[in-house]
Amino acid sequence: MTGSTMAVGLTGAIPDDQVLVRARGVTKRFGGLLAVNNVDFDIPRTSIVSLIGPNGAGKTTFFNMITGAYVPTEGEITFDGHPIVYLKGSKVKSRKPHEVTALGIGRTFQNIRLFGTMSALDNVRAGIHVHLRSHWWDAILRTPSMLNEEQATIDEGMRLLELVGLEERAETWARNLPYGDQRRLEIARALGTRPKLLLLDEPTAGMNASETREMTDFIRRLRAELGLTVLLIEHDMRVVMGISDRITVLDHGEVIAEGSPAEVRANPKVVEAYLGRGAAEA
Amino acid sequence: MSTNVGSKQVGRGPAGWVGHIVDVASGAPAHYGQLLAANRGKTILLTALAALALIYPVLYQQVLAPFSRNTFPLPVPDETTVTFMTIFAIMAIGLNIVAGFAGLLDLGYVAFYALGAYTAAFFASPHFGSVSIVLFSNVAAGFPGIHLPFWVILPLAVIIAATFGALLGAPTLRLRGDYLAIVTLGFGEIVPIFFKNLAAITFTFSIGGATIISLQNVNLTGGPLGINPIDPFIIFGIGFGATSGIAAVYFGMLLTVVAIVVARNLERSRMGRAWGAIREDETAAEMMGVNTVRTKLLAFALGASFAGVAGAFQASYLGATTSDFFQFSTSILVLIMVILGGIGNIWGVLAGALALTYIDKSLLPWLGTRVQAVAPDFPNPTQFNFLIFGILLVAMMRFRPEGFLPSRQRAAELSVHGLQDAEEAMGVEVETDNISVAPHGQAETDRSAELPSEERDL
Repeated sequence: MTGSTMAVGLTGAIPDDQVLVRARGVTKRFGGLLAVNNVDFDIPRTSIVSLIGPNGAGKTTFFNMITGAYVPTEGEITFDGHPIVYLKGSKVKSRKPHEVTALGIGRTFQNIRLFGTMSALDNVRAGIHVHLRSHWWDAILRTPSMLNEEQATIDEGMRLLELVGLEERAETWARNLPYGDQRRLEIARALGTRPKLLLLDEPTAGMNASETREMTDFIRRLRAELGLTVLLIEHDMRVVMGISDRITVLDHGEVIAEGSPAEVRANPKVVEAYLGRGAAEA
Repeated sequence: MSTNVGSKQVGRGPAGWVGHIVDVASGAPAHYGQLLAANRGKTILLTALAALALIYPVLYQQVLAPFSRNTFPLPVPDETTVTFMTIFAIMAIGLNIVAGFAGLLDLGYVAFYALGAYTAAFFASPHFGSVSIVLFSNVAAGFPGIHLPFWVILPLAVIIAATFGALLGAPTLRLRGDYLAIVTLGFGEIVPIFFKNLAAITFTFSIGGATIISLQNVNLTGGPLGINPIDPFIIFGIGFGATSGIAAVYFGMLLTVVAIVVARNLERSRMGRAWGAIREDETAAEMMGVNTVRTKLLAFALGASFAGVAGAFQASYLGATTSDFFQFSTSILVLIMVILGGIGNIWGVLAGALALTYIDKSLLPWLGTRVQAVAPDFPNPTQFNFLIFGILLVAMMRFRPEGFLPSRQRAAELSVHGLQDAEEAMGVEVETDNISVAPHGQAETDRSAELPSEERDL
């Protein structure tokens, strides 16, 4: 199966200047477990790309390698022309997560990981942190530049909360928000990092049909209004098929299919991975 | 809940720049939506307490002192007690930066107190008698030893303590929770032991016939005897030693106010938010762009610098220092102040410091003389101080675990009420995998079990 991972669908066929993320030969081993195996993956600018696959297929692991949380065992990843995972001598090196965030990759988590006892606004302001320049001595002296910066983070934070419809809950602690609001706050916090690429790890998990529809529309709006590129991990096939420009299917850490929603849906390997052998022939 | 969120402003008083540096009364970050009335009440209360603090030393000296031992049902704190209140207040506020804001449990905080004290001892005493360096001091020219003024000693103590704070922080960066506490505990033991033993350093290192370094019987710290005397801080000819009356009390209060303002301003800044993020979820904080290495080191260094100041002031106030002042129990004492007072809340830890210092330095000695008068064979209650603090701590954990004056965060984390709020808010839908299309569900459970815990938790 390894040989077939090359140049399925669009990967490799996109001109360099239109590629935001380029991953080549990315492999991650945890001890004896091969979580991600030799994955090539391109994300075109301002596209919405979904990463799907059965549980344990390596989707979140792949996410974590793009964001610098895991160092791949092998491979290279570039983002917007900056190397994120690169070879130094013969060793694979990765930028630190906060450096990746500063380059312009924001993310949400599969299990919500907000800063629970900080207000919604402060959660978003914590996201903006990476772009702030005032130092601790500015904080102690409350210099005019520091105060201006603080005011700017409040304004930006409120704008983002308005974008996700949480402006009325700005003072509420993250942990006291309803579940759907927490999901949206996580996106607002990720937007606070001023990303070019937004990684959403199961953004509609645990949502009912109407909330899911709202979230799908919202993700479309993010691209339309902010020009964001979105990489999505999602189990809800209605969301995936409805929203994605391209879909990459992982199974057992390998890319088994790649292409438009229609292509992926028709791919026998995908059907087999999801429904088991025999289902494709049936 | 929040009516004017759109027009939120960073608190800028009318008093200009200095006004907002010391804008301590304006509550938690302005946008925490505290009601104006509550803020006004807080301002009035603070003003009243500050006024009481200001007049207390004079009141004590003029009115209370003659009565203090026997007349009152409880002892009134004397000058020494109040001075130590300020010293411990500075330390509690500093430890609160590390343990309260950033959530890093530091059990070796006494090390920085010792470093501050020995900074004063080295640079403002006749200890290094073979040289004579006198700078802006009342000490006569040519007097043996190094004699620097307090405005050099205090910044030096800050720099030295902060440096060692960062040095302690560096190897602990990958540690969390219990492991961090154990390493800091070790550091808190090592530093005083060094001070105790560096009285006769003999050390030779040579390569071939050439001596690279040779120390013969170098007395760096005075050993178990410590260093004595140490110059008091002197401003305009007024000394701030233990023998100079109430002046030292005011100097300590000044330092405490500076400590409160600095800690407060740090809390209400991007640093404060970054510390909060690390306390809440270190992994998420890093993924959101917080440089956790630098931010944690900054917490350790800034927190340590407070103890450095407290130590330098304590040594110059007492006019002597020995390693016996810097036992592990002092780390624990300051930590109890922070926890009893209300970890995370500057006003809480201040209250904790004042209350425990009062018990330790006024109440128990007073009780001691009472008990000794009645039953001379009964052990002195001052020996029971940690028993009493322990009981207080257990009682507090049972009845009010968030502390006397809790921070809003900890109150919610620890109180049953807060938990209920959170559960209600989480509502019904916490199941995540409602649309499962996964034939390999079992496989994932198996796989995740193999991952190292640190890597699994994303």
